[in-house]
Amino acid sequence: MFKAMIKKEFLLVLRDKHALLALFVMPAIFILIMSVAMRDQFTNESIEFSLYVNDADISKISKDFLTKIEADKKFHLLDDETSAQFVVTIPKDYESKPNSKLSINVRDSIKSDEIEAFKAMLFEHVLSAKLENMVRNIEGVSPQISKILSDLEISVETMYEVSYNNSINIPNSTQQSVPAWIVFGMFFIIIPMSTIYVNERKQNTLARLNSMNVSIFAMGISKSIPYLVINQFQVLIMLGVGIYLVPLFDTPALVINGSFFALGAVSVALSIAAIGISSLIAVSAKSSEQATTIGGILNILLGAIGGVMVPKFIMPPVMQKLSEISPMSWGLDAFLDIFLKSANFSMVLNNVLMLITFGVISLMLSMLILQISIKKGF
Amino acid sequence: MIKITNLTKSYGEKKALDNLSLEIKKGSVFGLLGVNGAGKTTLLSILNGLISQDSGSVEIFGLDMNKELKKVKSLSSIIPQHLAFYEDLSVKENLDFFAKVQNAEKESYDKSVEINSLEEILLQKASTLSGGQKRRLNIAIGLLNNPKVIYFDEPTVGIDPKSRNEILDSIKEYKNFGITVIYTSHYMNEIEKICDEVAIIDHGKLIEQNSVENLITNRSSDSVSVEVIYSEKLQELGLDMSSETTIKTKESELFATLKLCKTHKISIKQINYGSSNLEKHFLDITGAKDV
Repeated sequence: MFKAMIKKEFLLVLRDKHALLALFVMPAIFILIMSVAMRDQFTNESIEFSLYVNDADISKISKDFLTKIEADKKFHLLDDETSAQFVVTIPKDYESKPNSKLSINVRDSIKSDEIEAFKAMLFEHVLSAKLENMVRNIEGVSPQISKILSDLEISVETMYEVSYNNSINIPNSTQQSVPAWIVFGMFFIIIPMSTIYVNERKQNTLARLNSMNVSIFAMGISKSIPYLVINQFQVLIMLGVGIYLVPLFDTPALVINGSFFALGAVSVALSIAAIGISSLIAVSAKSSEQATTIGGILNILLGAIGGVMVPKFIMPPVMQKLSEISPMSWGLDAFLDIFLKSANFSMVLNNVLMLITFGVISLMLSMLILQISIKKGF
Repeated sequence: MIKITNLTKSYGEKKALDNLSLEIKKGSVFGLLGVNGAGKTTLLSILNGLISQDSGSVEIFGLDMNKELKKVKSLSSIIPQHLAFYEDLSVKENLDFFAKVQNAEKESYDKSVEINSLEEILLQKASTLSGGQKRRLNIAIGLLNNPKVIYFDEPTVGIDPKSRNEILDSIKEYKNFGITVIYTSHYMNEIEKICDEVAIIDHGKLIEQNSVENLITNRSSDSVSVEVIYSEKLQELGLDMSSETTIKTKESELFATLKLCKTHKISIKQINYGSSNLEKHFLDITGAKDV
């Protein structure tokens, strides 16, 4: 019986072309567009400033500074100031007068946050050149101290080290986009599920099945299994898009650092949650139009709150707290932990349990509503 | 035999079934008549195990519905008024699905296809079928489990006369297989044509249960219809006519009516005592203006 019911559900979903577009094509396109569009927002490596340096000092320290700028890929040193974003002037006597300052002339089109980023990046090289100059100056005073200082690699990197909790990799736009749009796409099963459910209710096929000794529980479970399978295919395809397709557009590929078992567990748990909420909407709606409208709006709201549309880390603290109510957020956090922090199963277990609990409660509630609606008879 | 005893079902304040008792003979075609809201659908839903009664009992072929619901369901089948199948699946896919769900045997599968003449449209998508073909598919699904009792809930709504007659003929055939048919319809002529016995329900109560023959020739009513050969004089006499050739009168006024016909040389074909047809009888005893 289960086999026949699962087959029927697959046939109905696979013949719904709009549903297939929403389930597979839409999230894949989102992943591609968002990964490429946000490529520069998620990595410092790609930030590049063009600058022209006007060296009025022509000293040892100014040459050191220029060498460092030339070696840094974040800067594009120009020979002509007309097309430069920034013009940096090294004043005369810069080396001899410790209090003298570099002057930076900024073009009008540069935004304030870019100016701050430029100043911070430039500061590293200014500091480094000045420290090296200090070492040269004290060389004659004490050979022992001079030796110790010259052995040191003087740069900003020697002063601090950036570390991420449990992380070995810095996130890139693909690693942010793929999990977000996987989660969003998985919840889009609401469209085929509700359409089929409402049609079955309207056409009385569910009541007919019930009169044929098919229990509500059997109906609920046999309807859920195909969507569980479809969701897993979605995850595989979206991961494939992140790993193989996105790099073709000069964007970093998806890297999975964590456990594949944890990834599977999160994927299944997310699917159960998506099936639960989809069933609940499908059995409560009076028409498929109503179900798809409510489902679509709910999806977008849960996605917006849950960090799909806007990454949670750039949300204000109040919004970050609010995002915790969205099951999409539980799934997204777990995926990000796996992709970015090499999380294993135990590290995502809490989120997995929350998603499963949410899904099972929603599914049971939907079966109860379905039972009541079937009781109304033909 | 199907034995319904003191069946009561209420929805809030409204009593859908009020102490209803019925007995339906095995192998008969039994008509269930009643205006909308009379309680027919509630009765069918209880007989199918979709809802349960507040009180009373139902026994189908010796099985108590309350205690052996699963067995009872496997013996019966409902043909719902609304087409209950998958429009996006083909005829064969629909039949295969409903057959597997019920573990139907190949023999009953083939019989369902044959009785309903579905052989040539098996691969056609259900949504592309004509109204009559859809009705036949709807019925075929109900026959897959080789039921001993079939409940038809208005199965001929919205189809052409040819398809209707085909369906009615196939229902009459079920008697040959020993199947008990419980049939509800708004079309009284259908009930007259195929049913052996009829129960009239009104406001959840049984008003009358009788054979179709007895109901049509019901002598409890004093109405008489006199069928005559058409004459232009009929319109001038100021008689109560139910059709161009049928005079409506009462038993007490029959002699005067016949005398009038003789005086004006109007030939008499037939005299019918009681209600002229089932519909008339139904309207008489329920007080409804229309079926």
